[in-house]
Amino acid sequence: MNAQSAVKEQEPANRHGNLRPVEQRVLTIAVAGNPNAGKSTLINAIAGSRLHVGNWPGVTVEKKEASFEYQGTKIRLVDLPGTYSLSPYTQEEIIARDYLVEERPDLILNVVDATNLERNLYLTVQLMELGIPVVMALNIYDEAQAKGYRIDVAQMEKMLGIPVVPTSATKKTGLDQLLQVAVSGEKSPQLAVPHQLNYGEDIEAAAEFIAGNLRTSAPALLERYPSRWLLLKLIEGDAEVRKATNLTEETLLPEALHHLRRAHGEDLEAVLAEVRYSLATGLTREVLKKPELPRTEVTEKIDRIVLHRVFGIPIFLAAMWIMFKLTFDVSKPLADWISSMIAGPFKHWAEALLGLIHAPEWTVSLATDGVIAGTGNVLVFVPMIFAMMFFITFLEGSGYMARAAFVMDRAMHAIGLHGKSFIPMLLGFGCNVPAIYATRTLENPRDKALTALLVPLMSCGARLPVYVVFIGAFFPKNGGTVLWSLYVMGIVLAIVMGFIFKKTLFRGDAPMFIMELPPYRVPSFKSLMIHTWEKGKHFLVKAGTYILAVSIMVWFLLNLPWGVEHKRDSYLGQVGAAVAPALSPLGFGSWEASSSLIAGLVAKEIVVGTMGEIYVKKAEEKKAEKPTFAQDLQTAGSGLVKALGESVNNVTSTFGVSSLSTDEDAEKLAERTPLREELKKQFTPLAAYAFITFVLLYMPCVVAAVAMVHEFGTWKWYGIAFGYQMVLAWSMALLVYQGGKLLGFGG
Amino acid sequence: MIPLGLLSTGEHGEIVEIRIAPSSASCCEKTKCDCRIEDLGLRIGKTVQMLNNGSPVLLKVDESRIAVDRSMAMKILIKEAGR
Repeated sequence: MNAQSAVKEQEPANRHGNLRPVEQRVLTIAVAGNPNAGKSTLINAIAGSRLHVGNWPGVTVEKKEASFEYQGTKIRLVDLPGTYSLSPYTQEEIIARDYLVEERPDLILNVVDATNLERNLYLTVQLMELGIPVVMALNIYDEAQAKGYRIDVAQMEKMLGIPVVPTSATKKTGLDQLLQVAVSGEKSPQLAVPHQLNYGEDIEAAAEFIAGNLRTSAPALLERYPSRWLLLKLIEGDAEVRKATNLTEETLLPEALHHLRRAHGEDLEAVLAEVRYSLATGLTREVLKKPELPRTEVTEKIDRIVLHRVFGIPIFLAAMWIMFKLTFDVSKPLADWISSMIAGPFKHWAEALLGLIHAPEWTVSLATDGVIAGTGNVLVFVPMIFAMMFFITFLEGSGYMARAAFVMDRAMHAIGLHGKSFIPMLLGFGCNVPAIYATRTLENPRDKALTALLVPLMSCGARLPVYVVFIGAFFPKNGGTVLWSLYVMGIVLAIVMGFIFKKTLFRGDAPMFIMELPPYRVPSFKSLMIHTWEKGKHFLVKAGTYILAVSIMVWFLLNLPWGVEHKRDSYLGQVGAAVAPALSPLGFGSWEASSSLIAGLVAKEIVVGTMGEIYVKKAEEKKAEKPTFAQDLQTAGSGLVKALGESVNNVTSTFGVSSLSTDEDAEKLAERTPLREELKKQFTPLAAYAFITFVLLYMPCVVAAVAMVHEFGTWKWYGIAFGYQMVLAWSMALLVYQGGKLLGFGG
Repeated sequence: MIPLGLLSTGEHGEIVEIRIAPSSASCCEKTKCDCRIEDLGLRIGKTVQMLNNGSPVLLKVDESRIAVDRSMAMKILIKEAGR
C-alpha cells in the first residue's frame, strides 16, 4: 500500500481536544515508545531530579512521573512502559493502553528510534488511532545521521499530521524545541491531532457499519472510548475491549465481520496488524533514504567477538570478574569510612545526647546496640550495593546485558530456562529483591516463577557479612577459596534444583526464546546515575525501615522479660533454645546459634548483629561477674560496634583476597575481634562451615518474600521457596557436618 | 524455501511463511499468547539476515538484531537470496 495515498486528509476528531480553559491547568503528557528507543534517557534529560518513581496501581511495573513548569505552562510528564504495540498481551502493553484510553492525557509524546523507523512507526500508527494529540520525538537522530540516513522530517509531519522534532536524548539536543512544540500544541491542540490513516476500504466500511450500529444501540460507548480505537478493537476481536463493552460478535457485528473474514481470512487481529505494519512500511519508505552500501557497523563488529561460539562465555566470565572486582575496590574506602563513623562519632554522640537529657539506661542501650549497631551494620553495605548497581546499570545501558543472556542461553536450557532468565539471576548476587522484580521481563509465567524460585540461591550481598565473620575466625588462610566455594555451591544447587523443578513442578519444554539485542551505546552519565539510584534505593529503604525495626525488635526480645540477667532467659533465647535440638545434628545446636538464625529470617545480615549482641555480651559477662545493666550495655555496645565495623571492613578485603591476594588483606582477615574470638570457642571449623552453608540456603529474607508475593500476587511461590530452601539448607548443612566428620575433619 | 535456521552466517533471505501456530508458539500459554515475533519485525515479506547461526540464532531484521531459539528459526521459512 502506498502510504501517500493511505493518508486521507480527514477532519481530525477533536472530541478529545482540549476545550477546557488554557490557563491554570496542568498539561498531562504521556510518554510512549518502543523499548530501547531512548525513552528513559529522554525523560531523565528533561525531568532530571524532578522525576518521581512509583508503581502503576496493582502491579509492580515502575511508573515514572515528573511535574514541572515550562515557559509558564505546568506540565505533568507520565512515562508509559516501553511497548512494541498496544495489544493486550503483556502487562506493559495493558498498562500503556489502559492509561491512554482511560485517563486520556492531553498529549502523547511518542519517542521514536530514528535508526529503526519502521518498527517504531508501527506503534505510532496505533497511538494515532486514539485521537489524542501526538508529538513525535525523533530520537537517536544523531546516530541515524551518522549512519548516513536521511529522514525527511517535513514530509513525515505532513503524512502523519503531527509535529516531529529530531532529538538526541544522550546529547541533549532538540529537547528544548520538543518542549516548546508540546507547549504550543497546548494552545492550539489541533496542530498535533494526528491524521486518521486509511486502513483500506473493507475495514473502513466495517468500522462505519459498526459505528452506525453503536450510535443507535450504545451511544454511551462511543463517548466513553476514543471512537476510532474502539471500532478497530471491536473488529480485531480484542478480548479485553469486548469484555469491557459487553459486546459479542453475535449481538452487534456479525455481517460486517463475516464479510471481512471472507475477504481476508479468519484472524482479523492479524489482518489489522498487517494493515498497520504496511502503513508503517509505507511511511518509512516515503521519508527515509538509506545510504546505498551500509558500512559494517560497530555493533556488528563487537558482536562478532562478544557472541563468539568459543570466546563468548570466557569473555562474559571476564566481564563479570571485572565487575565484581571493581565493585569491591570502589566501595571499600567508602565502606571503611562509614563504618568508622558509625563505630565512633555516631555512637558517642548518641550516648552523649541521651546522657545529656538523663535518659534511662535502657534507652541508651536501645539506641546504641539496637538502632545504631543494627542499622549501621547494614548501612556499611550501601556503597557496595550502589557500586554494583552502577556497574549493572552500565552493562544494561551499554547493551551488553542482553548479550550476556544470549551467551548463557545454552547453559540455561539445562535447567529448563532460557537466556533471558539469566539476567535476574545475575542481579541476585547483588540483592535478591531487585532480582525478583526483574523476573517481570520474562513474558512466560512458567519462566517467571521458576526463575524467582531459583534466585534466592544466588548468594546476595546481605549474606556476605556472615561469611566474613566466620571466615575471619576460622579460615583466615584460605578465605578467598571458602568464600568462592559458597558462591559456587549456590550456583550448583540452583542448577540441581532447576533440574528437579523442571522434572516436577514445571514439566514441558522450555518455551522458545526471542529477544532484541539493542545496539551498543555509551550510556550517558546522568542516566547511569539516575538508574543506579533507582535500583539502589530499595536497599536504603530496607535499611531504613525493616532492618531498623528488626534491630529494635531483636533488642527487646533479647532484653525481655524485663530485667533479664542472662540472654539465655530472654524471649529470643528461649525460642532459640527450643529450636536448637533440631540444629544439633548440623553441628551448631546451641541456643545462641539458633537465636541468631531466627533473627536472620528477617534479613540475613542481621545474623551477625545478633551474634554480636549475644556472644560478645556473654564474653563480657564472664569477666565482670555481675555487671550492672549499664556497664553491661556500655561494654557490649562499644565492643559490638567495633567488631561489626571491623567485620564489615573485611567484607571488602576478603574479596581482595579472592581476586587479588595481598598481605595486608590477609592480615586484616586474621584480625582478632571479640566476636571472632568468642566464635572460635563456640564452633569447630567444620560446624562453622556448616553454619554458613545453612545461612546461604535457608529461606529468602522477609523483604524478598514481600517482593515475591507482590510480584506474583500469590503466596504460592513464596511458600514453595520457603519449604524447599529450609529442607535444602538443613540437608546440606547436615551433609557438610556429618560428611566432614566421617572424612575425619573433626567434629 | 528453506528454514531460516539453516542459513549460514552472512546469508539473507525473505520470509515467506511462519509456521508457529499461535497456540503452540514460544511465549504462549494455551491460547493466551505473549509473542512478539511479529511486533519485533519478523513478518512475511521481510528480509532477514543471519548474523550468527549458533544457539540461539542471531538475526538482523531492518535495523534490529533479534535473538531467537533455533527451534523457532526452524519454523520460519524463507526464500533464499544469497549472500
